[in-house]
Amino acid sequence: MLPVERIIGEEGLSASADGLRLAMRLPWYRSLPFSIVEIEQVRIDGQPVDLSDAKVEFDGTVWPLSQLGEQTNSFWFVRDSAFLHMPGQTAAPGSEHEVALSMFISPPYIPGMKRANTQTQTLRVA
Amino acid sequence: MTSISTGPQTGVTLYSFTNAWLNRKFELDGLLKEVARRGMGPNIEIIGFQNFREFPDVSDKFAEEFKVMMAEAGLNATSCAINSDRFLKPGQQPIDDASLIEYHKRQLRSAKKMGFGLVRYQFALPVELLPQIAPYAEELDIRMGVEVHAPMWAGHPAVQAYGEMYDKLDTPYLGWIPDFGGTASRIPESMLNAARAAGAKESLIDKLKEIWLEQGMSHEKAGRLREWALAEGHEPVHIQAASLAFFILSHNDPKSWAALVNRTIHIHGKFYGMDEDGREEAIDYETILPLFRDGGFTGTLVSEWEGHAYLPDDGFEQVEAHQAMCRRIFAGG
Repeated sequence: MLPVERIIGEEGLSASADGLRLAMRLPWYRSLPFSIVEIEQVRIDGQPVDLSDAKVEFDGTVWPLSQLGEQTNSFWFVRDSAFLHMPGQTAAPGSEHEVALSMFISPPYIPGMKRANTQTQTLRVA
Repeated sequence: MTSISTGPQTGVTLYSFTNAWLNRKFELDGLLKEVARRGMGPNIEIIGFQNFREFPDVSDKFAEEFKVMMAEAGLNATSCAINSDRFLKPGQQPIDDASLIEYHKRQLRSAKKMGFGLVRYQFALPVELLPQIAPYAEELDIRMGVEVHAPMWAGHPAVQAYGEMYDKLDTPYLGWIPDFGGTASRIPESMLNAARAAGAKESLIDKLKEIWLEQGMSHEKAGRLREWALAEGHEPVHIQAASLAFFILSHNDPKSWAALVNRTIHIHGKFYGMDEDGREEAIDYETILPLFRDGGFTGTLVSEWEGHAYLPDDGFEQVEAHQAMCRRIFAGG
């Protein structure tokens, strides 16, 4: 996988008080506004995760995933991970899980370009 | 000290090192030092939205830190690439003109604050908005070069419309930044090989080469390939890999750059791979560079390796070979 195709972040999967947290990387060469990012699906051990209450965290700010399309003036710095919070999901620290993430990006200066990205990786819960 | 004009300069854009940057192999100061250590400067270009966390609104504090980093590395902040992000909501109308103008001004202010002498901007900025932005660039004393990037080339209607506006505004603060991907002679074999390695079938590659030679906007040609390939049963992932070529390269006459030499303020030396004879595999530098050399261009050509779009290499050796070729041609060799 090329660096520019990576969408599962180096920080991997971790358990928090209200669920699981997945690190994500932006699959592009430059920072882009969050409004052009669309998280399509997360599967953990083959099971699709209900993302209706999911949130996205970046640099200390948290938005409901459903509001991501409105974030036209918040930029995802291309070197940093953003974190997908998935409430209600549970996994024991130290256990391993196959995580599949898929997202679309539509670079805001290239009319008509919509790129699909998928990545599957076995992650140990931190 | 008298400064002597010595003709075109060679430099590098940090975009060439996208792989090492995304892999977090370097922090910004380390990457600058590596570029300096390898003698690739002193003139460099940086994409604001690639290397600056605070872009588009850089703080005074970071701007000062950046200037110190550059001084320590012995590099010149020659060009800052800014973006015309107009389609902030996919599938909806572009942002309004006032917002787009302010978006450019924010980036111009940041670039100036960090010490850059010029910015690269993009055709996604509607030409009729230039009269509202150019005076601001003059006020800040920073030049703006619109990047003539595939599918654009000197003969493209959008370039001609910009040229007419440039004539009307008649200011040295506006110019061209040619990107040679607009006059590629062929799709780089390294790119086709990467698509093959990803599983693309030879029939898809053949159709790609055929449609790539046709006229049209990038997304139209990508749509044409997609429609054909889906009907033929090709995998969407292979189609996406193959379609990259439509967005970064187009097939126009390398000599056509002659029309833009006079207003060229900076150059993107786009390249993909250097062969054993020191030539670029898809772009005819032997024809293109003499136009600028003999036409009096004295700005900087930054080597821009874009093979990271399909190869994992860190780009350093490719840039060294490319700069050697450009210096040879600029020296008359």
